[in-house]
Amino acid sequence: MTTRTPDASVHVRDLRKHYVVHEKEPGFLGSLRSFVNRKSRDVEAVRGVSFDLQPGEVVGFLGPNGAGKTTTLKMLSGLLHPSGGEARVAGFEPRRREADFLRRITLVMGQKQQLLWDLPALDSFLVNQAIYEISDAQYHATMREFTEVLGLAGILKKQVRKLSLGERMKCELAAALLHRPQVLFLDEPTIGLDVNMQESVRAFIRDYNERYGATVILTSHYMADVTALARRILVIDAGQLVFDGDLAHLAGRGSGGKRVRLQLRQSVSEAHLARYGSDVKVDGLSAELTVPRAEVSARAARLLADLDVADLTVEDPPIETVMAELFGGREAERV
Amino acid sequence: MTAIWRKARVLFSTQFALTTEYRAESIIWMLSGTLSLVMMLVWMAQAAAAPGGQIRGYTPAEFATYFLGTWAVGQLLVVWVAWELDFEVRQGALSPKLLRPLDPMWQHYAGHAAERVVRFPVMLVLVAVFAWLSGASFTRDPRAYLAAFGLVVLGFSARFLWEYSIGLLAFWTESSTSFQEVVWLVYAALGGLFAPLAFYPGWVQTIAVWTPFPYMLGLPAQLLAGKASLADAGRGALVLGAWLLVFWFVRLAVWRVGLRKYGAVGA
Repeated sequence: MTTRTPDASVHVRDLRKHYVVHEKEPGFLGSLRSFVNRKSRDVEAVRGVSFDLQPGEVVGFLGPNGAGKTTTLKMLSGLLHPSGGEARVAGFEPRRREADFLRRITLVMGQKQQLLWDLPALDSFLVNQAIYEISDAQYHATMREFTEVLGLAGILKKQVRKLSLGERMKCELAAALLHRPQVLFLDEPTIGLDVNMQESVRAFIRDYNERYGATVILTSHYMADVTALARRILVIDAGQLVFDGDLAHLAGRGSGGKRVRLQLRQSVSEAHLARYGSDVKVDGLSAELTVPRAEVSARAARLLADLDVADLTVEDPPIETVMAELFGGREAERV
Repeated sequence: MTAIWRKARVLFSTQFALTTEYRAESIIWMLSGTLSLVMMLVWMAQAAAAPGGQIRGYTPAEFATYFLGTWAVGQLLVVWVAWELDFEVRQGALSPKLLRPLDPMWQHYAGHAAERVVRFPVMLVLVAVFAWLSGASFTRDPRAYLAAFGLVVLGFSARFLWEYSIGLLAFWTESSTSFQEVVWLVYAALGGLFAPLAFYPGWVQTIAVWTPFPYMLGLPAQLLAGKASLADAGRGALVLGAWLLVFWFVRLAVWRVGLRKYGAVGA
């Protein structure tokens, strides 16, 4: 069942955020100089970002550390006042922090917590029920649903400080979504979690998006999060949007190469395979190499003709490789 | 109205649960606030040594009653919100609270109110013990206790708001709590923590009557000692009420302007 909401869209135009950062040299002398003459500089964290999200869209928001991802999410959730530009989320101007706006959004920060540390998570849920004015019927229905999907049974009555990181993150997600927000800003929601827990959080986000038609913006250092959940990707670098398109398009923006995987019937040396492409890896009868995108067909045909090949597949390079290339010194092209 | 009541009830009960987790710390902290008791011993000794066994009409037992009164009232006026806010603003812990459709102030207020419930019974026992040891004796007029309680509620709320405003200075400065220390000194001096207000020079008394401090600390103590009338309490309540309004709007203004400066550090 999908419950579509009237407006869960996000519109961002030329959004900017400048910070004043105070700087001080280390040590006693540095402190003395700073005391007499405090130095500061202006940092442009976000420099004119524009994009639109449709209701129900799930978007991966990628970029290196310090690129402006979190700052953008903070502005869209009303935590930070923009220095310039315009943002509208679910029909509201975030910086005004109107109660109706706050009831429609949530921001999950993987490194921050809202749960009361010394009490069971259930107490925090009850506080949120009261604050968001959630009816008993909706509260119990949501709790039943979250308990099932997130596997919360057995941990809700334990003190938060005694939960494992994974258990705590699941409770954080449940607390943040208890009021059934229409727009989700998820900032590193799986950080520090093991692979199984990451998968369970991903499944929960996917389920929530399908069930409520919520719009989701997700930042993560784990590419698996992004590839599992988002079709559309926004890439930000040095405060500017450098890519806005679908995942397949981003994958195709690598060095121009595609990865060819071979299953051979007879072993072949790496040196021999190097005639057909670069970055060759051989493991028994399995091998892989990168070939130029424009020559994929020709090279594949040669491989099939020259070698005893049982199977051949051609893939885009892993998204991690593309991202490393995008931020590895090459100037990214604005799309 | 039901929603407001529900919020108040849930906030209070969770904050009470949190306070009970730290009950030992609350009691130790309570025992550390002994300035009134030290002043009590100093003034009792001075009165005992003075000609006629009294100073300006105060016998040692009356000093004991007054200072024990200020100690008890002071216990109910304790506010630590400036430290909490200073931490939350500088560490970014304010962010999760800002995402909810409720002013974070109410959670702090509920926390302080809940802590009073834990503190109050222990305080009563200690007042009884100190009164027995020092010879202090309080009024038997129940109206004086009601009036003192009303002044304490107003005084606590006023103090909470000015301390909240001071805590919010963390939006601009890295040491907002240092302002708190300065304001505490004025509160203690003009409130009557060091001596009854009547012992101060005339010009200090003239200034003090325009501030909220004597009405939130010294006046309730004098009511408990039977040295102030209900009319005094009424006048005090009016002044405190006026200051409460002032602090309410100051807090609101600082909050609104400060939020624009918030950096949501590390969040």
